Amino acid sequence: MTPKALSPRKGGASRIGTTESLDVMPLRYGDDPYVWACWLYYEDGMTQGEIADAMGVSRATVNSYLADAREMGIVNISLEPARLASLTIAQELKRHFGLADCLVVPSDDNARPLIDRLGVAGAHALQKLLKSGDTLAVAWGRTILSVGEHTNIGSLQDVTVVQATGGTTASFAYTPELTASAVAQAISARCVNITAPAVVASPEMQRMLLEEPLLKEQFATLARANRIVFGISSLRPNSTIHTSGFFESVSLQQYLAKGAAGVVAGRFIDERGRPVTGPLDDRTIGISLEMLRGIGTRIAVAGGFDKVPALLAALRGGYANVLITDAATGAGILRADGVTSLDSRLSQRQKPIAAPSSYRTHVKKFLNNPNDVVEEMLDGAVKAHRKYLEPIKGSHRALVARNGPRPGKVGLVIGGGTGHEPGFLGYVGKGLADAVAIGNIFSSPPPDPIVQCAVAASGGEGVLFVYGNYAGDVMNFEMAAEIAEEQGIPIRTVLTTDDIASSPLEDKEGRRGVAGNFFIFKVAGAACDQGLTLDACEAVTRKANARTYTVGVALEPCSMPQTRRHNFEIGPEDMEIGMGIHGEPGVSRERIRTADEVVDTIMDNIFKEMKAGPGDRVAVLVNSFGATPMMELYILFRRVEQRLAAKNIAIEANWVGHYCTSLDMAGASISILHLDQQLTELLHHPCETAVLNIN
Amino acid sequence: MSKSAARSMAKMFQMMSQMIESEKDHLSELDGAIGDGDHGITMSIGFLAINAELSKLDLDQASLSDVMSTAATGFLNAVGASTGPLYATGFRRAAKTLADRTTLDLAACADMIEAISTGIRERGKGQRGDKTMLDVWLPAADAAANALAENKTRDAFWHDVVAAAENGAAATRSMIATKGRAARVRERSLGHIDPGAASAGLLIRVMAEALQSSGQEAH
Repeated sequence: MTPKALSPRKGGASRIGTTESLDVMPLRYGDDPYVWACWLYYEDGMTQGEIADAMGVSRATVNSYLADAREMGIVNISLEPARLASLTIAQELKRHFGLADCLVVPSDDNARPLIDRLGVAGAHALQKLLKSGDTLAVAWGRTILSVGEHTNIGSLQDVTVVQATGGTTASFAYTPELTASAVAQAISARCVNITAPAVVASPEMQRMLLEEPLLKEQFATLARANRIVFGISSLRPNSTIHTSGFFESVSLQQYLAKGAAGVVAGRFIDERGRPVTGPLDDRTIGISLEMLRGIGTRIAVAGGFDKVPALLAALRGGYANVLITDAATGAGILRADGVTSLDSRLSQRQKPIAAPSSYRTHVKKFLNNPNDVVEEMLDGAVKAHRKYLEPIKGSHRALVARNGPRPGKVGLVIGGGTGHEPGFLGYVGKGLADAVAIGNIFSSPPPDPIVQCAVAASGGEGVLFVYGNYAGDVMNFEMAAEIAEEQGIPIRTVLTTDDIASSPLEDKEGRRGVAGNFFIFKVAGAACDQGLTLDACEAVTRKANARTYTVGVALEPCSMPQTRRHNFEIGPEDMEIGMGIHGEPGVSRERIRTADEVVDTIMDNIFKEMKAGPGDRVAVLVNSFGATPMMELYILFRRVEQRLAAKNIAIEANWVGHYCTSLDMAGASISILHLDQQLTELLHHPCETAVLNIN
Repeated sequence: MSKSAARSMAKMFQMMSQMIESEKDHLSELDGAIGDGDHGITMSIGFLAINAELSKLDLDQASLSDVMSTAATGFLNAVGASTGPLYATGFRRAAKTLADRTTLDLAACADMIEAISTGIRERGKGQRGDKTMLDVWLPAADAAANALAENKTRDAFWHDVVAAAENGAAATRSMIATKGRAARVRERSLGHIDPGAASAGLLIRVMAEALQSSGQEAH
């Protein structure tokens, strides 16, 4: 035997003496040479010759093993679906809008903020499109600043960057000056700023400034621009246009009234991309839409669902011929413009899952007439809980606590749609809520029953409304409050917003109210029962709301009694973190993980906001969405307790069970109330209700 | 004069109810794509309730304002959810605006449309571009005010109002819902007309049909 020089690859073994070699076909591969050959080829990266040596067969045999393995389905070559989708969307956008180029960032990578991903993509486009000697106009904005921050091109000569609009106050980081200079620095270009405000006080001022030789020279440079990179702003209330204070909001309303759908380089366009005229037009110093459209390469970088109408307008108007966006936004633009072929093309990529023969489309439920579920349920509930509550004037849509309301006590009225049982009627009784107004499934009650509740709960000291922050509930309770006040009952309202996954911290007021209602109702009810003033009751209820943190996770959707079909879908292997109690979207949809990992994600999110230190006390609620059994809830609670104990946070009280459900949804939520002395006392205050009895 | 005006308005609500009945399934279908599929039923219940309430009113004695506030109350108690307060507030505000009016001349019509849209906007705290019924009511109100300012004929007035309303409804196709139930589906709402906007467009079309001819009688 001639010892062969050892190949640097671990598979390079001699064909003789294989029993001694580390590279024998491992036992777990049995005698399956196909798999072994594929493993060495695809996973270990060996050449076919090396594999032949390792396996003791000819090179031709290895070659046929590999080919057969493809046919037998041992090896599947697959393109990463998210990347494939983004390429499909890019091609379609390019075709549909006749773009010169289009780059679409895959949506799967949510590890980094969209703004950064767009910045990287924009940088990539600049690298490809910019040439020495170019003049690049740069508009302002968060996205374009991000492009500047992610660009680094050192190879170009004689490039000029010119600011596309006048300047603004430096109260934010992405001013026209800073955006232009960031891009200029990143490509080592000369930077020409427009040294005048973007919006001036009067048309006369604009005319005078544009006559200044310096500005004339700067505008001459701008007129020479052969490329431009710009963002696109929507006119949504939270858009850059509003938050930057760049435009006065009075003027914005005038543009909105004329149908403005977006802003391109400080100019307003309607949904078809036509210029919208308004009071700022002749007070603006910057590139005109006409000038923009005359530039050869017009790179728009923008993403985010709320920008879809604005992006569509800009594309229809021909302002951009190179588009950088993300897959979700790109697909949204196409769908908004009526391109439906995309959906089928994208979905064809996924292998259809054959439904088993036992597959059913309807969920089984205990029903009589599906249209009577709410009435029948209330009939049963009122009788089951007659010890605690009774109908007001015979209506099951407005229930009052027995021995609840009394003169001198602030009344507590709660309410909302049905489908959340035992919420909300289970919280009515002495020491907790005085009355509850009940709507249809997932639907707010009208004002009338709410007013009846207010009247029944009133003890002459005013009435507190506490309910979840949902558009329908807010409108109906507001109207009810107006009517009750006309009848001489002072009303205060606290909207519950404990679902920390429903909106970021900056938009705390926009959050939804979910299972944490349990704690907030309890505190409010106790405060009322202790005879505190309306002011004091409201204040402590607000405090309880501010210190209650809930995150839910849904595993399976719920189904409505009328349809007995799923209200929405969650994939067979997926779960949704942060899903609301009516199926509202949460933070992320991901692969299902272990119970402990799910709790850890939830608790990490809660700890991020809850400023509880060692020695602090909390109350814990582990709540089922309907279908999840106690067994699983206890498993979740176990981990919650471990996480709190590790931080030396004490559990003052806890509840595990069905407290705020979503029909038959599978899933659970965890709520934590960060206690203080006052909240602790109110939590322990006696109450008698169907769900909660404290003596 | 006030007799015929109040009757015209009651007739308008009847016609609206008939239209909603015939479009009920279509509206629910639109809602099914982005909401919970009950918009047609909700609107049907609401307008049937309006007509039930109006039938109890003595139209020979009632003012325009009485008709509107009866409609508001009827709609609200029947519907709830979010459509209820929105239209009820709009109608209630229109009742206030029409308090000292006895005829449905173009100025009264423009005021009425303006009041309905203002009521809806304030109650829903929305604006244009939210993909709601406001994308129909606000442009319709603007068109009415402009047509009035330009002294347009009755036919041209209603033509402008209906055109603005229908453009507005169509424009919701390319908007993303940020309010109410449809906000839940976010980008999936793209490409679909908002059902609330669609029904608003239909209501305004019927309003035009009902008031275009009846107003002439009053002149």
